[in-house]
Amino acid sequence: MSGQEKNAVSKTGVLNGKKWRKYRVIYRSVLMENLQYAANIALGFFGYFVFIFIFIKLWDYMYQEPGELIAGYSKEQMIWYVMMTEMMWFGSNASAVARQVKTDIRGGNIAYLMNKPYHYTLYILAKYTGEWSVRLPMFAGLAVVIGTVLVGPVPAFKIITVPAMVVCIILGLTINAVLQICISLLSFWIEDATPFRWLYDKLLLVVGTIFPLEIFPRTAQAFFKLTPIYPVCYGPAKLIVDFGPEKCIEILAVQALYLAAGCGLMFFIYRKGVKKLYVNGG
Amino acid sequence: MGDTLRCMEQAVLFCHSRVSKGLVREESVMQAIRVEALSKTFRVRRKEKGLRGSVQAILRPRTEEVRAVREVSFGVDEGEMLAFIGPNGAGKSTTIKMLTGILYPDGGRVEVLGIDPAKQRRQLAYQIGTVFGQKEQLWTHLTPYDNFRFFGAIYDITENETEKRIGELAERFELGEFINTPVRNLSLGQRIRCEIVASLIHKPQVLFLDEPTIGLDPVVKESVRSLVKQMNRECNTTIFLTSHDVGDIEKLCKRIIIVNAGQIVLDDSMEHLKYHYLHKKIVEVKMQEETALPQVEGITVLKQKGTNARLEVDTAVIAISDALRQINAEAVEDINISNVPLENIIMNIYKAEGKDLTEQAGNGQG
Repeated sequence: MSGQEKNAVSKTGVLNGKKWRKYRVIYRSVLMENLQYAANIALGFFGYFVFIFIFIKLWDYMYQEPGELIAGYSKEQMIWYVMMTEMMWFGSNASAVARQVKTDIRGGNIAYLMNKPYHYTLYILAKYTGEWSVRLPMFAGLAVVIGTVLVGPVPAFKIITVPAMVVCIILGLTINAVLQICISLLSFWIEDATPFRWLYDKLLLVVGTIFPLEIFPRTAQAFFKLTPIYPVCYGPAKLIVDFGPEKCIEILAVQALYLAAGCGLMFFIYRKGVKKLYVNGG
Repeated sequence: MGDTLRCMEQAVLFCHSRVSKGLVREESVMQAIRVEALSKTFRVRRKEKGLRGSVQAILRPRTEEVRAVREVSFGVDEGEMLAFIGPNGAGKSTTIKMLTGILYPDGGRVEVLGIDPAKQRRQLAYQIGTVFGQKEQLWTHLTPYDNFRFFGAIYDITENETEKRIGELAERFELGEFINTPVRNLSLGQRIRCEIVASLIHKPQVLFLDEPTIGLDPVVKESVRSLVKQMNRECNTTIFLTSHDVGDIEKLCKRIIIVNAGQIVLDDSMEHLKYHYLHKKIVEVKMQEETALPQVEGITVLKQKGTNARLEVDTAVIAISDALRQINAEAVEDINISNVPLENIIMNIYKAEGKDLTEQAGNGQG
């Protein structure tokens, strides 16, 4: 294939929207790879079960009377909230994305990924999507079984709302990955971006994952709603335990904004950082 | 039939006259790679030894400039096979990474197939292939076949075209037996063959090979070399090779560039290199009985043990025929004359040319 032919193929690909085919293939390849390790993923079920069991006991103790509300949540809603955020946490393993970007940059492996005709950050995102596509349904199945057996069904749950919830969860996971990539790309400038990632992870875990935002004082709530906690974990989980069309639109709009801004930031940091690349051993 | 023969005869005569006039090279050979005054400097952290040094490094971090590549200029013709070699830390990998768009140059100009790698890295990726012997690009949990399909999609090749290409390359590289075995279960030799195929799936015009035969046994090395040679011959692919294996260089390349301390110390044809540097011959003789060896200028006794001796003859000082006359021919039981190994020549160039450059580089840093 001559250079001109290849350019033509490339340009036609872009015009026809076929440039995404390569990312679909990356996604499919990771999916094929991860399906071989489904049994290994299932080993993580034990950790999830222990975590949820502790929270069920904790909220059992906190809710002393039937029908009692804490921060506007019934006991069932509170437990389902934690189960959903933990399902996203365990089922996405987003810290693996950050670890990979950091390792690629610090170990110099990024050099061998950059000279392919794809965008490195989209390559990482496609890989990550392939990973959670196997993990998340497995953890979702487990969450539904544990929740139904130990807590009972989600209050006022309607099957028709499931597609909106799925979209919200997928967007939440993608935004989280984009932000994790942004933080890890700082490794272009600093020795180790782990402390920043640690802060971000702990903020999500303590504020958005274990407790819903309504638990916190009103002023803190207003602040937290501006942080990634809202589109990444609070929004999707809230929608599952207390669905409302207006709330759904609001969360989706915030997620769209966060995704657009996050991707813009990710491309910007990558473009600037790649010029700073220093590969060990040349 | 007669007309056809006449046409062929005319064509041969035409080509012959063009070659004899030296027109073919000048008119039809384009440059695939053009590098002018290319430079790259890294800032490297420096730390004094011990705990005190570690504390100082936090409070007052100290960095030094290392000029990895210093105003390097060269060109590579289309279809040429070039060896770009040098000792560790000479700047060859940094140069390759700038040619492939991975690193941004600090100064100078690079063009690969008319494309600026720093500005149009992704466009260039469609036209070049890279094989880094020490890095895997294949997905180890997938089979070579799935990997090739993956790379086909990455390079925007249609599924039909990818299938056709896999068929061609699998036959040429004899991958039939293991094309459906996961890469993690392949031997190193099989994996390297698959790595090369993966980098050829999009028919690159320039192939960068960075130590492609590292860790391979001699038989597999030979097979990889002949495949690279075949590809160059049949597809006119430009080969840019770096290797510490002299066999790769000697058997594949007609031209050699030696770099040291970030500068080119030699840019010559292999033929010329051998002609210039092979003025020393090694003469190994086995005598019937222990005899005194000639003490003549230009002949150095490298080793003597019993009736066996190893001499080095400097043909710039004494002709080989004159040197042989110095040995008692009637007492010779066996004799072997060979060139100094290319490895030794290259090592001597590294030492001789590199010494001055390293000193200059040392002065230039800081």
